[in-house]
Amino acid sequence: MAVARLDDALAVLADSLEFAKPARVQRVLDAARRVLLSKDGCSAIEARAEAIEEAGLFAGSDWDSPQSLVPSLTQHSLTSADANVVVIEAISELRLLAVARGRYRHPVVSAEQAHHYLAQVLATNLTLLFTPPGEAQRVGQGRLAGIAQSVLEHLADGIGFEHIVDYLIDEIWRILQQRPIQTGPVRQMITQIAICQANPAIDLGSSGQGADRLISSLFGPTQASREDPGVDIYRERLQHMDTGALQMEAGGCARAMHDTGLVSAYHAVLIRHLLTQGDHLLAEALGLSSTGRDCLLCYRDLVHVLVEKAISPHTTQAIYGLALMLERGILYQQPLAPALWRQLNLHLCPQARQRLAASFGEAVAPEVRLLEGVLCILGQPLGVGQGNNPTCQSARALSMWAYNDPDYLLQMVAWAARDDEIIMHFEGQTISSRQVGEGLAATAPLDLDAVSALVVPHLDRIYAEMGRQCSGREGDPHRWVNPEFHGWWSGRGFRINVDVASGQIVDLGDFLRHFYASYHPFHNGNQPLIHPQPAGIAVTDSSARFVGWHAITILRVALDPQQVMRVFFYNPNNDSGQDWGNEVVVSTAGNGERYGESSLPFEQFASRLYIFHYDPLEHGELASVSAEELEQVAEHMKSSWAEGRWSESTAWNLLAEPD
Amino acid sequence: MDYDPEKGYVALLGWSLNAVEAAAKFDRRYVVVAPDWAEEYCAQHDIPYLAWNFERLNDRSMEIAEQLQEMGVDVAIPLYEETVEWAGAINSVLLDNPRLLGQAMLMRDKSLMKRRAQLGGIRVGIFEEAHDREDVIRFLRRVNQTLLKLDGDPNDPIHFKAFDKAGCLGHRVIRTPDDVDSIPEDEFPALMESHLDGWEFAVEAWVHEGKIRFLNISEYVSLGYSVYVPASPELESYREQITRQVEKLIKTFDIEFGFIHPEYFVTSDGEMYFGEVAYRPPGFKVFELLERVYGFNAYQGMILAFDPKTTTEEIEAFFPREVVDAKGHAGCFGVYPRLRVVSRLEIPEETENHPYFESHELTAPMEETVTKRTAFGTHWGLVYFVGEDPKELHQLLKRQEELDYYI
Repeated sequence: MAVARLDDALAVLADSLEFAKPARVQRVLDAARRVLLSKDGCSAIEARAEAIEEAGLFAGSDWDSPQSLVPSLTQHSLTSADANVVVIEAISELRLLAVARGRYRHPVVSAEQAHHYLAQVLATNLTLLFTPPGEAQRVGQGRLAGIAQSVLEHLADGIGFEHIVDYLIDEIWRILQQRPIQTGPVRQMITQIAICQANPAIDLGSSGQGADRLISSLFGPTQASREDPGVDIYRERLQHMDTGALQMEAGGCARAMHDTGLVSAYHAVLIRHLLTQGDHLLAEALGLSSTGRDCLLCYRDLVHVLVEKAISPHTTQAIYGLALMLERGILYQQPLAPALWRQLNLHLCPQARQRLAASFGEAVAPEVRLLEGVLCILGQPLGVGQGNNPTCQSARALSMWAYNDPDYLLQMVAWAARDDEIIMHFEGQTISSRQVGEGLAATAPLDLDAVSALVVPHLDRIYAEMGRQCSGREGDPHRWVNPEFHGWWSGRGFRINVDVASGQIVDLGDFLRHFYASYHPFHNGNQPLIHPQPAGIAVTDSSARFVGWHAITILRVALDPQQVMRVFFYNPNNDSGQDWGNEVVVSTAGNGERYGESSLPFEQFASRLYIFHYDPLEHGELASVSAEELEQVAEHMKSSWAEGRWSESTAWNLLAEPD
Repeated sequence: MDYDPEKGYVALLGWSLNAVEAAAKFDRRYVVVAPDWAEEYCAQHDIPYLAWNFERLNDRSMEIAEQLQEMGVDVAIPLYEETVEWAGAINSVLLDNPRLLGQAMLMRDKSLMKRRAQLGGIRVGIFEEAHDREDVIRFLRRVNQTLLKLDGDPNDPIHFKAFDKAGCLGHRVIRTPDDVDSIPEDEFPALMESHLDGWEFAVEAWVHEGKIRFLNISEYVSLGYSVYVPASPELESYREQITRQVEKLIKTFDIEFGFIHPEYFVTSDGEMYFGEVAYRPPGFKVFELLERVYGFNAYQGMILAFDPKTTTEEIEAFFPREVVDAKGHAGCFGVYPRLRVVSRLEIPEETENHPYFESHELTAPMEETVTKRTAFGTHWGLVYFVGEDPKELHQLLKRQEELDYYI
């Protein structure tokens, strides 16, 4: 009965013209709400997922772009007092379950992506899943509370109930291995698991064992904080410790931090305490090797001021950033220490304060937030993520500067934070971020780390303006924009294998030979890549269908532990562990990757590449690349994103005779 | 949908999303004539559009008529009370029939309308025109004298309706001289009528070549609150009589084509009294209710009834059989907040759980304090019900009046 009504309402919605759809949505939501409240309602909705989406239920709403939905927001929408929000969220989750189970081939979300997403949804809503609705939720939501719970249960059933927690723990580890700067979502998931473990009413069975390291790294990394006593008691305990005991604490904190990339609030209390106890203990608590320790001792005053200003129980990740920055030895670059002194005394303009407050709240002064962000990006250049914004180029640039040219990055931060203006040059023309039009992101991004939150809006506008200045030129604008935007080290040599006008594959032989000859150590005289290079890839989903063009950085090319030649690259996506279909699975750990790196075997990487830069004066042996190697890459391409862009007559035209 | 060049080209006067969609999906060429705030929306969605601000008819009225004529438009269809006289003026040019303007003016003046009906031998209640509050008090007193009420007996109410307002807007029930004081100045002049104890209902009739092509009876559960279609078997038992009444009305008002929406009373002795008639779609989303149960689009029916190029066969084939072809009954209830201070919207549980409940278009309250309801004012949104049993539906709609949607 309820289902029949839903089908009627769906038919009406599907049948209405685009502009009239909003007026027809309510009836579908009302009908769906009843279905959700009925027995087997979730299955009924899941079975209709494709029909619901095609009818246009999500049109014009955030749910229309499932690829950018944020798992942590479901906590609010599923417990909303507004029935429509709860229902549309529930439908959206069930739709993704249908995608995850392969029952619905979605145009922009792959089964794996849906799976990851739902696992995170379950993680953020663990308490909701395992406990009956609390009083507050019942009062606010009334009968709606039942919907949230039955949907989560259905998701859990779909994904495998008994393994959820274990699966979540694997997910969390997988994300942590990429060492993101932003740890908020992961912390939230770990907290949920901890709450469930601590609740005697929830029986997790044998699952959840692997969560200990995660939970302890946040809530009890050491002997004296084991039972999560609260920072005040911990501070009190530190007062009465001798050097030996402090050393134990320092070691415990450092191990937890370097194991997970997460930093406990106790760690911040300890570090501040140790400022007065000698640099030996401080180095111990930061878990420094001889390189880092040496750096700390050389720049002792700077480090002390940084700790005093940037590190508090609210800004714990600054500790990890500081430790890794010292480890990188970049303070030995002459301009860096003075630039950090400038950062310490930087006066933020009102716009910058406002932007930081909008993203991070006002519990911590914006200067401190920014300082933490600066330490983190300098320590983890590959931990920058683009959030849910179309700003991969800007995120890539920030990461590249932090990696390769850190004092230039600090200059950018100072301009953006102090002057609310960044000026760059394009072929001799000055471009001010204040004077140019809109960038790619329509609104100011709120889901970024502090440095990105400040600098990306400026970069985004400048990048878009550089693109505009190239309009009318023949060919792809990245040829000119990338070197001007990223830095002198971006090669001026440029190859693209897609004809801009027609979208067809062209000049593939020439393209691949240059790529191999410039990057592959067996064809370039065993020359390791010197500078990170911007490159463009055609992203495909797990079914190898084309998803879109994406900006990445090629970092290095080397043999992995299995003696396979791999390209190691940085992907500004927030989660780089992606399945690109046809067994092209991007690896983020276990194949010789450093934290934050992604990697693929060379020919698989080449099969997704469409743009790269190189130094035309340094290219290697074009002719030494065998036709078989190229043929192999071409096969990978043809069976994925190049399908439909392929014409034998044009694709290969230069293969026969390398220049 | 592509339009058929052999068929007419219609202009919709006024903005109604449902009407536009119906036209866009139909086989007639159309253009929306609406105030300039609709321009951007129309451009965005490729809706043929002509800007016009419908104020009072004035010297410029010919302008729009000529513009539409140049475009090749065959007929104008009014969607709102305010555009009825415009349609009359425009159609008198497009169809070269000056009488259409006069006919439209009759539809726009409740007092003229009533007199015309009376002249045509249609039964109406006692009515009079009021130009100020004095007139109202006198009429109230006179009506109650006629009814042989003594001093101190509760008065029988009278109805007060601003001349040119649609439906429930400006419709007040007056019982005491105090009620008279609350009438705002701008509702004069107005029509006053005696109260008839009886069954009030409305009719929707699609007229083509002077004949009724489809006649629906809409049953009111409580005036201004709720309506459902098709009517209960009890009311439908009057269908014969009602049809004769509507035919009389069509003849009296000389209506050749289009759509009329009259209201009647049946008194306990089976006598039929004419209330008023409008030449536009009814309020309370009756068109949507009809589509829900009969499956035909009432706006498209209107386009057929207005289009001079529609053939008899075409319009006969379009409409289903009255009553027998309806799948169940559909009704809606207009929600007014009952409390003076409200904080949120919560559909009553018993409503939401009722199998007949279908959907609602209520939104969360914007303000906490509810303005006092004047006349049969504007409701805050409609709640829709569909079900098999008219009795059950009737009771359900009635029951809603006792429930709080806003708390």
